[in-house]
Amino acid sequence: MRTAHFKERTGQLVALSDSKVVWGWAVAAVAALLLLPFVIGNYQLTLMVSALIAVIGAVGLNMLTGTTGLISLGQAGFLAVGAYTNGILLADYGMPVWISLPAGGLVAGMISIVVGIPSLRLKGLYLAITTLAFSFIINHVILYAEGLTHGPNGLFVNGAQLFGIDLQKGKPLYYLALGLTILVIFGALNLSRTRIGRAWMAISDHDIAARVMGVDLVRYKLLAFFMSSFVVGIAGGLLSLQIRFINIDVFALILSIEALAIIILGGLGSIAGAVLGAIFLSFLPEAIRLFFETFGDPQSTLYTSYVYEIRGIAYGVVIVLFLRFKPDGLIGVWRDARKYWSNWPLAY
Amino acid sequence: MTRTISTLAAALLMSTAAYAADPGVSDTEIKIGDVNIMTGPAAFVGKGVALGSKIAAAEINAAGGVNGRKITVITEDDGYIPARSFQALTKLIEVDGIFALNGTSGTANVLAMMPLITENNLPTVVTTAPAELVYKPVRPTVFTFGAKYADAFYAQLKHISSKPESKDAVYGLIRQDDDFGKEIEAGYERAVKDFGLKDGIRLRFKKGTSNFSAEIAQMKQAGVTVIVNGGIFAGAANILAEARKLDMNIQSAGVWSEGIPASAALSAPAGYDFMVADYVALTGESTDKFKEMAKKYVTEEELAGISRYTYVTYIGLKTLAHAMGECGQELTRACTVEKLKALKDFDTGGLSAPVSFDNDNQLSGTAVAVYQYDTKTGAFQERTGFEQY
Repeated sequence: MRTAHFKERTGQLVALSDSKVVWGWAVAAVAALLLLPFVIGNYQLTLMVSALIAVIGAVGLNMLTGTTGLISLGQAGFLAVGAYTNGILLADYGMPVWISLPAGGLVAGMISIVVGIPSLRLKGLYLAITTLAFSFIINHVILYAEGLTHGPNGLFVNGAQLFGIDLQKGKPLYYLALGLTILVIFGALNLSRTRIGRAWMAISDHDIAARVMGVDLVRYKLLAFFMSSFVVGIAGGLLSLQIRFINIDVFALILSIEALAIIILGGLGSIAGAVLGAIFLSFLPEAIRLFFETFGDPQSTLYTSYVYEIRGIAYGVVIVLFLRFKPDGLIGVWRDARKYWSNWPLAY
Repeated sequence: MTRTISTLAAALLMSTAAYAADPGVSDTEIKIGDVNIMTGPAAFVGKGVALGSKIAAAEINAAGGVNGRKITVITEDDGYIPARSFQALTKLIEVDGIFALNGTSGTANVLAMMPLITENNLPTVVTTAPAELVYKPVRPTVFTFGAKYADAFYAQLKHISSKPESKDAVYGLIRQDDDFGKEIEAGYERAVKDFGLKDGIRLRFKKGTSNFSAEIAQMKQAGVTVIVNGGIFAGAANILAEARKLDMNIQSAGVWSEGIPASAALSAPAGYDFMVADYVALTGESTDKFKEMAKKYVTEEELAGISRYTYVTYIGLKTLAHAMGECGQELTRACTVEKLKALKDFDTGGLSAPVSFDNDNQLSGTAVAVYQYDTKTGAFQERTGFEQY
């Protein structure tokens, strides 16, 4: 039984985990994820890829909103920038995917600096509206820069090959998404242990106090925007590889709202929470569908006529109930469970 | 004895060979997929579409099915979001194992599904998104039913210009700033050129816009007497309401989505006898006959929800079933595609012009008819029959 223990060195305090059991579980989880494509069907694999893309996007947003406390409603815009950059470089310029995909992140990151500049003076809802406006601007640019983006006609994203392997097909795409997800999670975890991560947390707690303590607000806020958007841009690139056709309808405003819902439901400020939230919201519609297919009465008029509305309402109700009874989000549930088992049989 | 067993085994192998090759077909059933807008603001469109498949399947099954096989339609919701359309079709192919696809949601949605359709050689009839992007370049297994928006507006403008309400008619276009809006403008442009119309003003708006006060004020300023209304559903109704607010005396040409009862009810209070053009019938003997037949298979509530979207998908599934029927017992996707390609003058009972896919674009239903809403009776009146433009 593990009990609480003291840390004697800074290194111990900032270690990702000092528990061999945790590392063991992490390795087991990665191994299980590597073997997953051999035991599940193509549809489940597609859902997994979508969930992994959502995880990357959520971890990216968490850097900005969860850790640094800067609310953004512009994630759909950054996602679009990443997707279009990847798509255009790949399909129109024939560039290899190992250039186009990071380029998507890079372009999204650079554009975010422009959006980030107002964040130096704006906070809360005002910043949210500014980032939302950015999303609208991106939509307009996509529509009107037809020569570059193909405008309203959209763009087919084909030709992502690496060593002769088509990266847009089931297993290769899954492994690409999984590899990037692991990289992004470890990158974010490591970033949170550095001076940058601590500066972001200080800004989130109180930006003026952080400034008094020597945190360069301009630098760290812009860095938060850049890093967050870089990661979201990568998610956008992956999304374009998965669905293979992009136009502005793919990047609707609702995506930004869903991204916020993911990190709030997972537990604001926590990387593990962002991961749990993304997985939870990605699979919730499927779980609800399976529930109704198993327990719903297909003969019932109510069920057959309103099944889609019923599913939609159930989706909303689950989220509302969750936030009402577990405001700390999924990570709170995880912590409670861990505490319970750590103290078992003396748990209370 | 050995010979009998060999013959039986051969017969068994032959009867199952087709099913082993192509999913979605058994001795008793053919599974047809339908990716549709069942939730969200445009759900009423999807429900009309799903109803068309349901009625067609029920009618075909009641008549003995396709060579004895019953049609089962499996509907998946995409909420009008392209990424979800892709996921929904993946589910239909991988989990449900569909044989062919009938419902395909909107233009961006069907384009998002296109790589999957092509890879799986899925016989597909597109009925709700007859955009050029869908049928050009031609994909071997994709057949499109429907006219261009450009032709629909050209037809209305031809009709209006032939019987103008005012001698000095000034035409004004208001359209969305996307591919759909561009198509409308193409029809407007052609009409302006061909009929020498006075082009007063051209305005664009962003999809989802609901307040058109500034745009309509500009139109009034430009002296517009004929509004080419590129708004859809509530948008189209709001444009007409704004014109009424400004006391404009106008004629209006609109999108075929305004031909459904829910949209017409929204636009009616403005008091204009607006026009629409469509590739399926909105009124007349054919629609009455259809509703009478549908009564046997749907509830009262569903019957009230029948719209043009029901007719288009009904026609889509009927053409698909006809092609599958032509293949006989050896039903394969390749055969279905071949028979669809050869389809010529398929009779839809007057719900549309006869359907023929035997052309380079595998495109049919391009003829449109013009209808005008009569605010006094609350019903559409036919102004022209189905014509090619």
